[in-house]
Amino acid sequence: MRSYRCYFITTAALLCLLPATLCAQEFSTIRRTVNAPPKPSGTTPRTPDGHPDLTGVWNGLGDNLLGVPNQIANDGVSIDSENSSHDIATGTQIATFPRNTTRGLNNEQGERAASLLRRVGSNRPIYKPQYWDMVKEFDQSANEEDPSNNCMPAGIPRAGIPSYIGQYPNSFIFIYPGQGGLIATQTMYRMIPADGRKHTPLEELDGTYTGEGIAHWEGDTLVVDTWGFNSSTWFDQIGGYFHSENMRVIERFHRDGNTLTWTATVEDPDVLLEPWTTTPRVALLNPKPDAVLPESLPCSERDLTHTVTKEHH
Amino acid sequence: MPKKIILQISMIAAAAAFVGHTAVAQNEGKTGSGAEAKTAAAGETMDRAKVLRAAADALGMVRWSDIGAGATRLPGIDIITTMEIFASGTVYNGAQPTVAEYHAALAYIPPAMRVEITRKGAGEAASHSIQTVRENYAWNESEIGAGLIPGKGIATPAMPAAKGRLLQLWILPYGVVKAAIAAGDKTKLLMENGATVITFPLSGSLAGTTVTATLDSKNLITKVETRPDNPALTNMVTETEYSDYADHGEVLTDIKSPGHIVEKQAGRPVLDLQVKMVNANDPYLVFPVPANVKAATTQTSATGTGGN
Repeated sequence: MRSYRCYFITTAALLCLLPATLCAQEFSTIRRTVNAPPKPSGTTPRTPDGHPDLTGVWNGLGDNLLGVPNQIANDGVSIDSENSSHDIATGTQIATFPRNTTRGLNNEQGERAASLLRRVGSNRPIYKPQYWDMVKEFDQSANEEDPSNNCMPAGIPRAGIPSYIGQYPNSFIFIYPGQGGLIATQTMYRMIPADGRKHTPLEELDGTYTGEGIAHWEGDTLVVDTWGFNSSTWFDQIGGYFHSENMRVIERFHRDGNTLTWTATVEDPDVLLEPWTTTPRVALLNPKPDAVLPESLPCSERDLTHTVTKEHH
Repeated sequence: MPKKIILQISMIAAAAAFVGHTAVAQNEGKTGSGAEAKTAAAGETMDRAKVLRAAADALGMVRWSDIGAGATRLPGIDIITTMEIFASGTVYNGAQPTVAEYHAALAYIPPAMRVEITRKGAGEAASHSIQTVRENYAWNESEIGAGLIPGKGIATPAMPAAKGRLLQLWILPYGVVKAAIAAGDKTKLLMENGATVITFPLSGSLAGTTVTATLDSKNLITKVETRPDNPALTNMVTETEYSDYADHGEVLTDIKSPGHIVEKQAGRPVLDLQVKMVNANDPYLVFPVPANVKAATTQTSATGTGGN
C-alpha cells in the first residue's frame, strides 16, 4: 500500500509540475521584454500577377491579450530595451526604468497603468478646436461613451490589421476575429474589390461600420480606400476619437517577408483640422502553414454595469 | 499521510512563503524608496539614477503593464505626456494681487503649455488671458484654439515670451524629473540640511538656466529654483514651492500632484494657487500652431529681431 501511495504522490507531483513546465516553455518562446515591431525575415511571396501575396494568418505576435504590449506600440511608444523607449511619432526619448519589484500589480493598479501606457504616444488626431472638449470628455467617460462597448463592431481604422487576409485576383477578404476582455470587439469581415471600380457616390451609401472599401496597388503597397461609414465607431479604444459620416480612410498594407506593416490615414473635414495618420502597426505572419483562426468567443458585455468610477475598463 | 507530516509540510510551506514574501518586500524597499541612496549620501556619492527613479516613483510617473503577464515583461516608462491643472488663488500683476481662476493645459511631447487665467474683480481688474507656447512658438489666444480656423478668434504672436512660458513647463515636478534625467551626467546631487538637492542645466532654447530642486523625505519635489547662468539676470530667478501632494484627479491615476503652488520671481510673488483638480490621465490636449504665428516667427527670424 505504501508503494502505491508513494507512486500516487510522485505521479500527482509530476502532473502538477507538468503544465507549469509546458507553460514556461511556451512563454519562453514568445516572452517579450520589448515591444519594438518585429524585424522581417524571409522573402515576400508573389502571386502570378506579380503582386506581393498578402494571404495568410497575421497573428504571429499572439492573439488577444498576448498582443497587448504590441498595442502599446500601436499607440505610439516603442520600448526598445530595459533602459530605452521612444515616442514613435517624434523620436523623443522616454525615460525608461527597470522594474523594481517582482510583485504583480493588483487589478486597480493594472488597469490604471494600462490606460496610461496606451496614452503616452504623442500621435493624436488634431480636431477642430470646437471639438477639443468633446473629445476629452468622450475619452474620460469612455466607459459610457465608447460606441464599441456592448459588443458593437470596432470599425475602421480601430480594427487595425486583419488577422486573416485572403487575396484573390480581383478582391480581398479581411477577417477580424472578435476578442474578449480588455479589447472586446465583435467579429468583423470585409470583402474588398480590387477590380478598378469607382466608389459609389457618398450620398447614395447607407453608412456602415466598415464602409465601402476599394483596393488598388501602388507599387508593392496595397491601398484600400474606404468611405460610406456610419458615425458609430472611434478611431481607437483610447482617446475618444469620434468621427462623422464624412470620414474617408486610406489604409496601406506593405508586406516585407513575414511582416505586414499597416497605416491608416483618416480624412474627416467635418471634424478634423487636418488628415491624421495612425502610428504604423506591424503584424507577424503565423509561421504554421496549417494555421487557422479559431472561432471567437461570443462577445457578452458583463462588466460595464458594475463600473463605479471613470477609470477606463 | 500522517497528520504530523502534513502539519510539518504545511509549516515549511508557510515559512517558505513568508521568506519569499519578505524578500520581495525588502527588495522593493531597497530599490523603490530611494532610502538607500540617501543613506549612502552621508559620506559617499549618491546614485543619480536611484534618486531620480525615487523622485519619479514618488510622483507616480513610472508604470508598466502586467497585461499578458508571463508572455511579456516590459520595463516601466514615464507615462506623463499631457496634463491639466485647475486651480484658484492669487495671481500677481506686478505687486498687485488679484483673485483668479487658473487653468493650465500642458504637454511634454512636444513641449507645450496653455495657461488660461481669469482674473476676478470689478472694472479693469477683471480680465481673461490665454497664453500658449509650443516649442519655440508663443502666442496669445482670444479663445481656446484661436486662429486655427478662419474667423474663429485671434491668435497674436508673442515670441519674446516663449522662453518664460516654456520654463513654467519644466519647473513643474514632472518637468524637473524629465529634464534632470535628460541632462544625464550634468545632473548633480548633493545634501543640504538633510534633504536631497538635484541640480541640472536646462537645454535647448532654455540653455543658460540652472535648475535646483529639493526633495522631501518622501522624495517629492518641494522646491524648485531656476537661475540664469548670467549673474546680470538675477531678476529672472524663480522660486516655486510645492506642497500637499495627492492624486487630485477625477479619474484616479495614482499620479501625485501638488495641491498648493507658490511661485516667486526675483523674490516677488507671482502665483499662489490652491489646486482644485488635476487631470493626469493624459487627456486630449493639442497645441497646433496657427499659420499666422508661424509666419510671424519666420518674419522675425528673417529680420533678426526675435525674442529667441
